Amino acid sequence: MIKYLSTLLVGLLIVSSSAFAETSTEQGSLEKELAYLAAERKVVVTASKMEEHVDKTVATTTVITQDDIAHIGARNLLDVLRLVPGIGITQTQFGWREIEVRGVKTVLSEKVQIMLNGHPLDHNLQNAGSAWVYDDLPVDTIKRVEVVRGPGSALYGANAFLAVINIITQNAKDLNGVQTSAGWGSFDTQQYRASWGKQFNNSAEAALHFNFTDTNGINSPIPADSRSIQGLSSNAPGRSQLTEGRYDLEWQLGYKDFKLDGRYINKKAGTFFGVASVLSDDRTQQDYNDYFLRLSRTWKIKDNFTVDTQVFHDFFSYDNIWQTAPAQFLHNGLQDTRTGGEIQANYHLSDTQTMISGFSYAKEQQGNLSDQLGVDPAHLLPTLPSTEERIRKRWGVYIEDVWDPLKNVRLTLGARYDRYNDFGGTFNPRMGFNWEFIKNYSVKFSYGTAYRAPAFGELGLVNNPVLLGNPALKPEEVKTFETGIIAHPVTGLTTQATYYHSSINQIISQVPVRTAISQYENSGSVIAEGIELETRYDFDGALQGSYIGANHVLQHSVQLGQQLADVPRQRTNLMANWAFDNTWSSFAHVLIKGNTLRNSGDTRNVVPGYALFDVGLLGKNMFGKKVDVSFNVYNLLDKHYYDPAPSSLNFIGDYQMAGRTFFGHVSLKF
Amino acid sequence: MKIINFCKALILLVAFLGSAGFAQSNKVLIVNSEKAVYRYETIATEFKKVLQQNAYQWAEFNLDSHANVEAELKQFIEQENPALIYCIGTQAYSLVHNVAPNKKMLFSAAINWRRLDVGAGTYGVANELSSAQELSLLRHFFPTIKTIGLLYNDSFSREYVETIKKDALASGINIINKPIDDTQEIIGALNELLPKIDMFWIISDPVVLSNKESVQQIFQAAQQQKKPVYAYSDVYIEQGAVLSISADIATIGRQSAGLAMMANQDKVPGGTVQSPAGSMVTLNKCALDALKLKFNQDALDSVNKIVGCEQ
Repeated sequence: MIKYLSTLLVGLLIVSSSAFAETSTEQGSLEKELAYLAAERKVVVTASKMEEHVDKTVATTTVITQDDIAHIGARNLLDVLRLVPGIGITQTQFGWREIEVRGVKTVLSEKVQIMLNGHPLDHNLQNAGSAWVYDDLPVDTIKRVEVVRGPGSALYGANAFLAVINIITQNAKDLNGVQTSAGWGSFDTQQYRASWGKQFNNSAEAALHFNFTDTNGINSPIPADSRSIQGLSSNAPGRSQLTEGRYDLEWQLGYKDFKLDGRYINKKAGTFFGVASVLSDDRTQQDYNDYFLRLSRTWKIKDNFTVDTQVFHDFFSYDNIWQTAPAQFLHNGLQDTRTGGEIQANYHLSDTQTMISGFSYAKEQQGNLSDQLGVDPAHLLPTLPSTEERIRKRWGVYIEDVWDPLKNVRLTLGARYDRYNDFGGTFNPRMGFNWEFIKNYSVKFSYGTAYRAPAFGELGLVNNPVLLGNPALKPEEVKTFETGIIAHPVTGLTTQATYYHSSINQIISQVPVRTAISQYENSGSVIAEGIELETRYDFDGALQGSYIGANHVLQHSVQLGQQLADVPRQRTNLMANWAFDNTWSSFAHVLIKGNTLRNSGDTRNVVPGYALFDVGLLGKNMFGKKVDVSFNVYNLLDKHYYDPAPSSLNFIGDYQMAGRTFFGHVSLKF
Repeated sequence: MKIINFCKALILLVAFLGSAGFAQSNKVLIVNSEKAVYRYETIATEFKKVLQQNAYQWAEFNLDSHANVEAELKQFIEQENPALIYCIGTQAYSLVHNVAPNKKMLFSAAINWRRLDVGAGTYGVANELSSAQELSLLRHFFPTIKTIGLLYNDSFSREYVETIKKDALASGINIINKPIDDTQEIIGALNELLPKIDMFWIISDPVVLSNKESVQQIFQAAQQQKKPVYAYSDVYIEQGAVLSISADIATIGRQSAGLAMMANQDKVPGGTVQSPAGSMVTLNKCALDALKLKFNQDALDSVNKIVGCEQ
């Protein structure tokens, strides 16, 4: 077949070449050709002049492309993130997953800023973080995920504390038609997606994405809870009830320089264990609604001066029923909104220097509180509120200068000041340089600070028998220094080594104030340091499309002289992708995680480390480049492994995670 | 309920955007990047001939004839209100794309068109021949060639080189490519590249081919290491290339005119970019003999011009 096609192509070329032979002989000389090339050389076209090549940024950045995601066979965002050096994913007792970054992990992942197409998604003002609805984000519509490790408040403001994860989705141009996909896997998991995108002749464009996902969850065995060990009636021993279902709609509409985009998500979930140290049955129901709507416009003032403006409205609500005993239920509900705007000026001073500066304003509001209690989830009675209605206003100004004083040197200098009506101001600088000291060898250095604003729950938690809010809280702060080297010793090989040192101060933590009562306080500090090593080799020639890669992290996080609990000292990812031909490729991944220590006073043995082996097969561009298929097996060797349960649940041991699981996926383009 | 209202607003907005349109004339505006450049001007001349034969109106705007080019071009487009703008060269395309993004556009003579932002209202004729065709012909001529090397600049040719690599994989040819940022890197890059390859491929990269000296460096290095050179244009035959497959410049102009007329009548899907329809195969028998390079004699049927040592 290939031979036939080759012959046909040659034939076509011969026919066309014979027909036009005469005119070609009149063509110009070398001088004329070089003059043409010189004219073409005058224009360098790039997608965005502010986009920086990963090699040239001062921040430690990992980019996962749509192609990478397809090879990985990722089921959701977490499957993508767990391959990134310095990032770990673990299960929480409530259901959502926690994102560990550089040896620091909290239940709400509130120190990680997740963004969608550059828009922050930390819409839950009561408890902060974005993992509530974005941990299991479907990946079929994602074009690229950019993970910037280290502080980002100098540019992004609040909560870009340990890392920024920016998810870029497909736009009208990427879609150019209709794309659909479906996936099925273990635990009755099903995913469906439909996308449509079109660019119109009058410079209008539209892209719409719809995703639906549903799973019965992993049904992990839970041997005991706080009631069963006292001999009281209990659901334990039992199994986790982490059913999860979600649908979301994303839109990107553009007309000339205007753009209206946003995403609506509804997520319903059970729980993995539950609250109050009591194993829940299937009557715990979490119900989240989340959307943002953003209208933006880029104003071109001059060739080298543009202004980006945007107004946005974010919404988050939950309406949750928690089982706190076999016959006791608690209902919490509230609504959070954030409305604001931003103006950013981009000034290209020269080919080697770009400066951006901006101003942002937002008003955050929490209301529609609903708290009920009772023995039957269908007939609950009002009870005292668990938090307060609250309004916060904040504004910020920022400036950043990216300057290449030499062809092989980039300097970045930036700072941001934010002012909050409820706790005052915070100033965060960022500086760094990237120096390509030998061709293909660059050294990086950066220093920056970041902050996380206290969440409404931390400020205003009330009527809770064991925990109180604190209106006098200040933001927690981190100062990070990092340096690294990135090299391409031979074509196709990229290696990077990074050392980081972070000092987190004024940590917002729960401090005992009276017997059995704690209060949120700015108390304590954490020192986190580590080394991240990563390498990837992309094969060329007959093996083009194949690659091997590895990353290894050594991390050490200390609080009060002790290694932080529930985070490993080391983690390794090994990856290999073998392209058999232009269509078929196979992917293999090994995750090796070290032991994780316990809190002081927790007498359980350390959580043993483990190695997981995943494999996948991907067929791309079949049937006229219209069909992609993939099949992945996670934990192929059916390894029994555990995520750490907190000390408060020490009686259950740890969370047993999924054994061998399967996921198949089909994607169609029209 | 809020969501339902929101969805209604969205639907209305989509309907509005979808129905929005502009009244259009039938005039074509030709924007030439630089009239003094032979390739641009030849294409423009052939383009106009076809338009004339088909009774189409046109207006011209040469970028090198205006001081405040962007403002003047914008004003000219408003004044002429063309149905389609034909951009010759990357400079013309970039400028028109900025000042009149809502206009139907056609481009040609743009190096590596894949780096351009080609939307639904954009059409084009590629500057480069289909690399699949070129590789098939190379295989036909030189069945023993396994590895081909090329130099390129990442900013100008990355997407084109990626396409070549994909097509080469399908043809069973191994491509070794080396990016350079400056002509000063050519010698070092060639010293590294040439020992690993069976043939060197000159692509139309404006950084690699910055001046005559860089062209000479390539041919001198290839000659020293006895490696044949294949080129995208017959102008390199005289320098010592063994084979060239050139896109015919005049045909690009005529082909563009045909595409412009079809695009104007919406007879061709938006985003269509055609490969050049005309090509010329030139074989340098003298260089082949000097290198004692074996080739498939049957392939001579496909050669338009054979250059001997006496020429």
